[in-house]
Amino acid sequence: MTDEHESKVDVAFLWDLSSPQWSRRRFLQTMAFMGAAGFLGVGCGSDDGDDKSAGPEAKQLNFYNWTDYIAEDTIPGFTKKTGIKVTYDNYSSNDDLFAKLRQGSAGYDLIVPTDNFVVKMIEADLLEPLDLGMIPNRKNLDARFQDADYDPGNKYSIPWQWGTTGIGYDPEEVGEEVDDWDALMLPSVRNRSSFLDEARDAFGMALYAVGMDPNSTDEADIEEAQKYLISLKKQVKQITSDYQDPLKSGGLIMAQAYSGDVFQVQAENESVRYVIPKSGAFQWVDAACVPKGAEHPKNAHAFLNYILEPKVGAALTNYVQYGTPNKAALPFVDPEVKDDPLKTPPEDILSKLVFQAPLGEKELVIADAWTKVKTS
Amino acid sequence: MTRRRKLRDGAKAHGLLAPTTAWLVAFLLIPLVIIIWYSVGTRGIIDPVRHPGGKLNWSNYGDALNPSFLPIFLRTVAYAALTTVGCLAIGFPLAYAIARFGGRWKNLLLGLVILPFWTSYLVRMYAWRFILDDNGLANTVLGAVGLGSEHRFTNTHWAVVVGLVYGFLPFMVLPLYASLERMDFRLIEAAYDLGSERMSTFLRVTLRTSLPGVVAGVLLVFIPALGDFVTPQLLGGSRTQTFGSTIQDQFGQGQNWPLGSAMAVLLMSFILIGVFIYAWRVGEDAL
Repeated sequence: MTDEHESKVDVAFLWDLSSPQWSRRRFLQTMAFMGAAGFLGVGCGSDDGDDKSAGPEAKQLNFYNWTDYIAEDTIPGFTKKTGIKVTYDNYSSNDDLFAKLRQGSAGYDLIVPTDNFVVKMIEADLLEPLDLGMIPNRKNLDARFQDADYDPGNKYSIPWQWGTTGIGYDPEEVGEEVDDWDALMLPSVRNRSSFLDEARDAFGMALYAVGMDPNSTDEADIEEAQKYLISLKKQVKQITSDYQDPLKSGGLIMAQAYSGDVFQVQAENESVRYVIPKSGAFQWVDAACVPKGAEHPKNAHAFLNYILEPKVGAALTNYVQYGTPNKAALPFVDPEVKDDPLKTPPEDILSKLVFQAPLGEKELVIADAWTKVKTS
Repeated sequence: MTRRRKLRDGAKAHGLLAPTTAWLVAFLLIPLVIIIWYSVGTRGIIDPVRHPGGKLNWSNYGDALNPSFLPIFLRTVAYAALTTVGCLAIGFPLAYAIARFGGRWKNLLLGLVILPFWTSYLVRMYAWRFILDDNGLANTVLGAVGLGSEHRFTNTHWAVVVGLVYGFLPFMVLPLYASLERMDFRLIEAAYDLGSERMSTFLRVTLRTSLPGVVAGVLLVFIPALGDFVTPQLLGGSRTQTFGSTIQDQFGQGQNWPLGSAMAVLLMSFILIGVFIYAWRVGEDAL
């Protein structure tokens, strides 16, 4: 080998600008282009509006919410009314949110965990108690959300939206109308269905399917539900919480799904239906809380009071298609939402809906059973 | 005099190494110690890892070695091995062609190989999903040319391997190219002149010369492929769980950080031992 060859080692070619075609400038231009092209897929980051000044709060609110979970005019309306600028970020799992919070204040003033995680966060001392005097609109809440088991008296949380966990499916593709959890075992949906990648939701479904209490922690019950899930796993295409696009495009024809998600799919694929299984289903509510160490708690309270205004709450529900906990908002909710028994369930269906009970240490029994299902 | 000089040189060397040392301590040693510390902890609901009374809980390693994880582990090794073979099969001819025939386009061609890196891995895997889906691009194109549009690509083992090969190809091409670029191609002519066959020329000249690149490429592809959990999640189905996704699950829905940490430590040890054996058998001088 010649010296010339020796000199070009390993990745040195990246900086080898000696060849005439690659003037430094053009190289840099190309790099810049590639960089820009790469960022197109990443989406835009948030602008970090932290203001650490003491005294009265800066006109800033850092809001951390689920994806696709707010109306287009909710934030602009708040900013217009109060002059408070809102930085809006998204997450897609309670686990991520919990982990982030546990590492210390993540810089957010408002978060929206699901009811069972509200319980965990209260136990872990991660939430700031609310000053209900600053939220007079709390009186607009439906009574069952003012004194719910997960947070009696709204000490830590104001409900955002509520919904149910049922089945989304395409009756034409399935070949029939279905009304209960055993539908996922139908031969016609084999390899074209999915269930949620959430331990409690999956076990709730399985416990219903084998005729048990969805909140059971009895070991024999859990074992039977685990067996059911292992056999169901062989039948489904995926265990996923990311079912919206496939349900829309036909990649999945049946999925264990959250109500509002399916209604959003319906807007683009009219043949998709949602059903609350007749043997029963989980209901849940996402509730807005102020994490410990929030820098703008007063602004967060102002926002909570704002979202409870009848028209603001109604606009939110009309957009995201989930149920509103805001009774005063109902007159302003679109008839398609208000008169649909699936979106606003009547009393007889409501009575069959169950919240996920906080299980404490017993939750680990389900976590272990879930690992066995996933690794079977 | 000499002794003092030696001391001074020693101190100087340490001083020069300080940034590297600091970096290794901060980003390698400390995280490693934390993972090992977690792996001997006890799980909890509120605190994911506890060490009640400072007691070390070694049972997590027993749980991690549970035979029920073996099929998943073997599947993961199979994915990583197929990925490595696939990357080598595509990467070698590619790197060879660029190194030998690229001429003045060499940098551009290599730039094109690296180009996908400027996009997030997640986005690229979603793109594959778009291509391979039941109603995706692949089925549309195959249907249009009369080969049927009902193929099932996603949620199969092959979809996962295709995604991994695509994702890790640059890791194979770059070291291969670096080796082949330095190769003196006149050696091939010389081999032919001396009566060598095509195959033996390839094996004894081309491959032999580029062995350092092959060794580096195999390691750079195999190791990350072994730990990958994103690809099976996006392209795989309910039967493509890997060891990496099992570890990830322990930090999420499985709620067992100590077990996840023990599994991670075991996987790391397995890789380390494997690399030592590999380096010793295949490439002691190649590395």
